[in-house]
Amino acid sequence: MIGISVVLGFYNEYKAEKIVESLRRNVSIKAVVTRDGKSYQTDSKLLVPGDIVSLYVGDIVPADMRIVECKELQTNEATFTGEAFPVEKSSERLDVQHPMPQQLKNYLFMGTVVVHGSGRGVTISTGRNTEFGVISMSLTRSHPETEFQRGVKKYGSMLLTLTLALTIGIFSLNAAVGHPLVDSLLFSLAVAVGLVPELMPAIVTISLAQGASRMSKVQVIVKRLVSIEDFGNMDVLCTDKTGTLTEGRILLKDYSSLGDDKDPRILSYSLLCNTAVVNERIVGNPMDIAIWEYAAKNGIHENADFTKVDEIPFDYQRRMMSVIVKKGVERILITKGAPESVFERCRYAEAGGKIESINTVLNSINDKFLNLSKLGYRILAVGYRFADVKTSYSTEDETDLTLLGFLIFTDPPKEEAHQAVIKLKKMGVDVKILTGDNEIVAGKICEDLKVPVKRVVCGSDLIQMSWTEIKTAVEETTIFARITPEQKLDIIKALKANGHVVGFMGDGVNDAPALYEADVGLSVDTAVDVAKEAADIVLLEKNLLVLADGIGEGRKIFGNTIKYILMGTSSNFGNMFSAAAASVFLPFLPMLPMQILFMNLLYDVANMTLPTDNVDEEYTEWPKRWDIGFVRKYTLFFGPFSSLYDFLTYGIMLFVFSASAPLFQSGWFVESFWTEVLVIFVIMTRRVPFFTSRPGKWLTLLTLSCVAFGTILPFTFLGGFLGFTALPTEYWLLLVLMVATYLLLVDAGKVFFYRICRF
Amino acid sequence: MVPYTDLFIWWAASISSSSVFLTLVSIYLYIDSRARRMEGSRAAASTSNVGKSFIFVWVLLGLLFFYIFSIQIGSIGIFAAGNIVAEAILILYLMRYRKSRQI
Repeated sequence: MIGISVVLGFYNEYKAEKIVESLRRNVSIKAVVTRDGKSYQTDSKLLVPGDIVSLYVGDIVPADMRIVECKELQTNEATFTGEAFPVEKSSERLDVQHPMPQQLKNYLFMGTVVVHGSGRGVTISTGRNTEFGVISMSLTRSHPETEFQRGVKKYGSMLLTLTLALTIGIFSLNAAVGHPLVDSLLFSLAVAVGLVPELMPAIVTISLAQGASRMSKVQVIVKRLVSIEDFGNMDVLCTDKTGTLTEGRILLKDYSSLGDDKDPRILSYSLLCNTAVVNERIVGNPMDIAIWEYAAKNGIHENADFTKVDEIPFDYQRRMMSVIVKKGVERILITKGAPESVFERCRYAEAGGKIESINTVLNSINDKFLNLSKLGYRILAVGYRFADVKTSYSTEDETDLTLLGFLIFTDPPKEEAHQAVIKLKKMGVDVKILTGDNEIVAGKICEDLKVPVKRVVCGSDLIQMSWTEIKTAVEETTIFARITPEQKLDIIKALKANGHVVGFMGDGVNDAPALYEADVGLSVDTAVDVAKEAADIVLLEKNLLVLADGIGEGRKIFGNTIKYILMGTSSNFGNMFSAAAASVFLPFLPMLPMQILFMNLLYDVANMTLPTDNVDEEYTEWPKRWDIGFVRKYTLFFGPFSSLYDFLTYGIMLFVFSASAPLFQSGWFVESFWTEVLVIFVIMTRRVPFFTSRPGKWLTLLTLSCVAFGTILPFTFLGGFLGFTALPTEYWLLLVLMVATYLLLVDAGKVFFYRICRF
Repeated sequence: MVPYTDLFIWWAASISSSSVFLTLVSIYLYIDSRARRMEGSRAAASTSNVGKSFIFVWVLLGLLFFYIFSIQIGSIGIFAAGNIVAEAILILYLMRYRKSRQI
């Protein structure tokens, strides 16, 4: 036990170290710092609060900082907040009380990436004091117990109480009726040992290891074996949106004219008014990349008739960019940008080849734009005008434009996500979305995936709630939007407190604390290292359908573990109870301590292949819970069946065969072993009659071999050594009939038991 | 002379107590499950339904009396025949249960 504790302790320490190391790798970066008027590059580890840091495209933000000045600064905060689209930053003061991280437009978070523009910020916090650091520190604590581990602990307590009570009771009774004290003590200790399912750690470990091996074949890697059972039993799956349910990248879904037609110029103009650099790879602004990808997918190329003359770059005041292109003598100014900004500069609108004043159709254009926004899409507007020929152009030329249409962007749901969600629902797993993104985008994803939304709660609402209110809210809510990593953690904790087995799936830094806290932390291979380290299970394929396979595997493993516990506890309880009663009124011990221990060993050998046993399909249809009350009821109900037939054997041995002590012990050993082992086939299934369920071939083979060995044991040298003697032929006939009646009676008892005790 | 005759009463008491214990556990579980379902609008179970639910108890108690009787008279033949009858009853019950579940 000490050895195991040391190994486990070392393993946990090692894992925690790996997580910290992975975080360090993520943030080991250089920064351009300005101190005493001089700018130089330094390691981010050497930054202190108050340092002014300069940031450019591609830089990883080295600390949490307040922006003091910036130019067209955009950062990718997807791993931190879940927001897939780049976030525009500014140096302006915010007038928001209790702002969410997503609202902090004048703040930069350590670990996020500058994707556009440049800026300077004053360092506010560094290292473990940053938001990133707080997350990393939360991962160094020990892993919370899983539901399965909690169940095993409760089971251990129940068994300890039962064993202590029986041991003390048997010893006292035996001593009271005058049996020698040493014999009484040895017998009571043997009974206690008989009650303990000593093979349970081996059964559980083998089951988990085999399950992990099977799951690896469907590209699911189990990092923490003990989480497999909870994986099968989870009834709530909280998932991050970006990168898990969605592709985690921006795609141009479509483009749309103002009327019912679809003007191809919207796309060809967008390819011209574009900053992405197209070589072997397309690099640049994610939205510009998405336009190129859409064109490539649809076989559309940049119009070679046009030549770019000039460009008016994007800036945050205008929130648009323009290019001037020429075709022959004709020059066209093309503008692409935020719809509100483009509308202001448009004088006309073109729909179906008809150009009219924008004022006459502004309401319908606005409606179209708002409707698309409400559907969770990001929209850019495209406009144009014929331009005068001159040497250079400025923003002043961006007037009197003709609005042409919209570009519709989305972070699309994964192809198989809808099927996966339906399959999970069928398996009794409720799916909830926890995202840092806004409620409209999250709602759109639910709509796409056909997930019925019961309620939407935003991070700002959660802040106002008491713990009791949060516990109520988590039950009714499908979407939690604009939430912080800490709030994700609170939601997981609340669900666990409500008695759910909670899985969490995420791939970003912001998901790491929730991955660690959940009963089952699930991540994908493309996730950031921190998320993968914090997760219990990693999906190597992005295909969410493997989740359902994994859950089914987890349920099988749980089913086989529970089988062992139910069989072992109920049979042992019954046997030991009858042994205890018999030891009081018999003039000799009903079974010698060595015989009890040998039977126990043989029983355990028979169970060795239990991890490979079949589990009925219907058992894996719905999540199960570790219910100690159920185990107690099961033991109390099925234990006496075994006692009854033990007493019957006593009667036959004493009053039919007038057995001596060795004959009595031999008869009871064989009967007890037969009933204890063969009842496996009845108890392993809920089906009635039991033989309609097919047991695993290895279990059948080993069990029947053990029964055969137990049967011939009294006739062998080893049997003689253990104190057994040959049994009369008539006894075998009675034994066969008795055991058959016993098995059928237990099967009939099952009908009653499962009708009233749900599990 | 059959030894252990003085133990017969102890033995009969033990085997009866295990059967009574099992019956009491069954009644407790049944009442417990009924109490948990009280909030539902389920009508009270009819006597015949209760009787069907407890069929294994009736078989068990029947077997108990039969076992005590056959062992008291020490007849292997009666013991074997009684077991076969009980098994036939149980197999019929289980097959009927399966059939009704399939319907």
